[in-house]
Amino acid sequence: MKRMIIAAALLAATSLNAHAAEIALWARSRTEGYVTPLVKAFNETHSDKVTLNLIPNEQFVAKLGTAIAGGTPPDLMSIDLIYVPAFARAEQLTDITAQAKALPYFDKLMASHLRLATFEAKLYGVPFSAEGSFLMYNKALFRRAGLDPDKPPQSWGELTAAAEKITALGDGNYGFYFPGNCAGCNVFTFLPAIWADGGDILSEDGQKATLNQPAVAAALAWYHDMWARKLVLPSARTDGGENWTSSPATGKVGMWPGGAFTLAALKRTAPTLDIGVTFIPGAKPGQVASFAGGDSIAIPKGSKNVKLAWEFIQWSFSPEVQVEILAKNGAVPVRTDLADNTYTAQDPRLLIAAKAMAMGRTPYSFVYNDLFNSPQGPFLRMLQKGVFDGDVSGAVRDAQTAFTQIIDTGN
Amino acid sequence: MSRNTAAWLYYAACLAVTGVFVFPVLWVLICSLRPAAESALPPAWIPSTLSLENYETLRRVGAGLWRYVGNSVAVSVGSALAVAAVAALAAFGFSRFRFAGRGVAFVLLLAAIMVPFQTVLTPLFIVLRAVGLHNTLLGLGIVYTTFHLPLAIFLMLTAMGAVPRTLDEAAMLDGAGALTVLLRVILPLVAPSLATVVLINFIAGWNEFLAALILMTDQSNYTLPVMLVTVTFGYMGTVDWGALQAATVLTMLPVLALTLCFQRYYVQGLVAGATKG
Amino acid sequence: MYRQGWLGWLFVAPALLLTCVFFLWPLALVGWMSLHNWPLIGRIRWIGIANYRAMLNDPIFLQSVRFTLTYAAAITPTIFVVAMALALLANGDRRFVGLFRTLWFMPTAIGLSTASVLWVWMLNGQVGIFAAIGRALGLVETDIPYLDSGTNAMIAACSMVVWKTAGFNMVLLLVGLQSIPSELHEAARIDGAGAWQNFRHVTLPLMRRTLKLALFLSITGSLLAFDQFYIITRGGPQNGTISMVYWIYNNAFSSFRTGYAAALSLVLLAVVLLASLAQFMLFRDREDA
Repeated sequence: MKRMIIAAALLAATSLNAHAAEIALWARSRTEGYVTPLVKAFNETHSDKVTLNLIPNEQFVAKLGTAIAGGTPPDLMSIDLIYVPAFARAEQLTDITAQAKALPYFDKLMASHLRLATFEAKLYGVPFSAEGSFLMYNKALFRRAGLDPDKPPQSWGELTAAAEKITALGDGNYGFYFPGNCAGCNVFTFLPAIWADGGDILSEDGQKATLNQPAVAAALAWYHDMWARKLVLPSARTDGGENWTSSPATGKVGMWPGGAFTLAALKRTAPTLDIGVTFIPGAKPGQVASFAGGDSIAIPKGSKNVKLAWEFIQWSFSPEVQVEILAKNGAVPVRTDLADNTYTAQDPRLLIAAKAMAMGRTPYSFVYNDLFNSPQGPFLRMLQKGVFDGDVSGAVRDAQTAFTQIIDTGN
Repeated sequence: MSRNTAAWLYYAACLAVTGVFVFPVLWVLICSLRPAAESALPPAWIPSTLSLENYETLRRVGAGLWRYVGNSVAVSVGSALAVAAVAALAAFGFSRFRFAGRGVAFVLLLAAIMVPFQTVLTPLFIVLRAVGLHNTLLGLGIVYTTFHLPLAIFLMLTAMGAVPRTLDEAAMLDGAGALTVLLRVILPLVAPSLATVVLINFIAGWNEFLAALILMTDQSNYTLPVMLVTVTFGYMGTVDWGALQAATVLTMLPVLALTLCFQRYYVQGLVAGATKG
Repeated sequence: MYRQGWLGWLFVAPALLLTCVFFLWPLALVGWMSLHNWPLIGRIRWIGIANYRAMLNDPIFLQSVRFTLTYAAAITPTIFVVAMALALLANGDRRFVGLFRTLWFMPTAIGLSTASVLWVWMLNGQVGIFAAIGRALGLVETDIPYLDSGTNAMIAACSMVVWKTAGFNMVLLLVGLQSIPSELHEAARIDGAGAWQNFRHVTLPLMRRTLKLALFLSITGSLLAFDQFYIITRGGPQNGTISMVYWIYNNAFSSFRTGYAAALSLVLLAVVLLASLAQFMLFRDREDA
């Protein structure tokens, strides 16, 4: 008891001493590439300080939830845009409608982020970073396999055919790769295939599961076909995301879907790899789709300094930050009026990334984590059962039931 | 089969078994000393050169290695000492005093042995928030102390029960009060049990993972095991295997060294803990 | 002997205070929470026994119970056979036997989570030692597919647990072994019993108490398994290795359904208490016989 009192006294003393304004920003570790330089730049140009707390991706939601529930929320948080509906509905976020709408470039901000951050006509977050999903391919392998490196596949059938030719090179080369045991990765890269084919997994308001649409089974059957014909690197089945970039980095993978961060990581770890970029195709040529991902930035209720938090947000929208920090570090600017910049001019692939983002879609759900991102969720189970076990109809049936049940209990 | 062959076979078997048990520990130690660039490669028997690069990387992970070491030391040393002190007091109270409600208090304290702490983890989080100890090392230390208490009380009670009451009485005739008797007469006699309690609870606190994972939300409050798993789950796309090896070694070495030095106490404590039922 | 009995209260008070605040209070709260829709963040609502009903419609919960029991049933005999073999090797006073005992016991001191991380590294297909050995021997092409099937994942986790806990169980069994008077073995030998018969008819029966103790510890430990499945298999593949504690953790801190997690906790507590009760009965019966 005495120790508790001493601890309480110490706590009180430290908070009294803190006159220089300082706020804590939480972000998931995958965003480290641009968040770290961004925070550093802010601290160098401002007298107030932002301290960055990077949480491992898989523990982010758990840590954030416990911190908020424990009464020690961060002052500012950068969270995967898909989680904003859940936190907004739980009344844990500060309403920033007025400030945000006053921004002169408000209508240029990423639409997907704003749609997900709106709850009952109020805005609870704004875009912080953007990631569209797209398909990458190894141009050197394309050449060796007799494929035209400037004509990437336009449909599922063409992709399978290209994968076949690349796999036929032998010597451990495989046509296709995806981290098959990673829920979040495949939400990002596999859902677009379903969308491109005209299907969807949730109703617009996120209140109904629609997995029994034919496009879902068709996309699963397509992946399964490639897997069954051994056109996919075998470790795909068990990769929980760890080898998402290290597998293509070996130069033995023909095609793999990913996002701007995958491209940035590959440019860093495998600079000699000649990577081409194209959209994720649908069943027929001309069909394309993308997942609009990335982070929103929001101010939790209980933030020590809402004013400073908003100042940081507003600063992050400035062209210097959007271009010289985000774009420079391989992320897509969240202001569409800045999508075309010096860095996209240097690397036109980034323009495709930005275009993918602009046409991207995002599911809206209050139980997003349980449905999609959780390693124990029904989305990953469907993928594993359908693609690797080959039981497509069973996988879809189970997923439809599980999705419906989770949505119903979440209400 | 001659005596000689039998002996050969016996020692061959023992060495093989030793290899299995010791190899992972030695292997991770060797690999952690490879240059960082080699740590993502398939294993080679001998590192090309010895290097502390992986440990250097680790120093910069998250809130800095020393912070995590400090957290772990604070929580495990603090809770081990607290358990020993509180258990010694309680055991003294139970073995030397007759007071109303003694039986109830005794059953209450030892009942906790039957309830694994995993089952009360969720509300424990809420209780810590209510008393203002959420996300603090002090809170985590108190949780460890509470859940290690029953066994410690049991061990101390056994030890103190064996101390003859005549010693208490002699000291009291010399004018010593109850607390003085405990500190000057009884504790020195039960020092080995006290050491056992401190040792097993230090190791238990050092190794604990689940409660630390749940109760510490701020990365500057992580203990070593949580930091270690954080490195493993690390950054999507890049697990830093070298840092992981170095972190594993640092988390293992202190407890291994302690066990080797004080093996007798540790084994005694574990066996006594096991046979308490 | 001490006349002021009330002084005893003072000595017992710190322990009682801690136990009441950090053990009894949460224990009571578990029951209370389990009757609510109690999200980690957001509004709390009384829902009676709906959480308990929901369990019956929760396939992963049912699977986690089945898996946890299977795991307990698989790991316990494995640890036993290994620990018994170690104990037989380490019994006696040949040269170096003390050193061997120490080295075999050593992994006991390593934390379960630390050991799990160590094995994640050793099991990894690209950098791990097992895959390297497998490739050198031509057994595997690229990596050890330990997450391919529930069985493989279980074997991977069990190997780690056996490695970590066999030494401790060996020590427990040694205590039992050494309490058997050597005259008994001598007498059996004179009656013409071979080594196996001696083990089967003298050693095992006399170690019954020790064996049951180790059995009980191993079963209780397995029912509470978390670290190895959270770290090594991450509950996969296809939720094949989700233990009960894992599912509680997941519901409380990933799905934020704290009330439901509390209900699951009470089921777990019931299972653990039942196991203890069964073990208690077992002990008594045999002791009387």
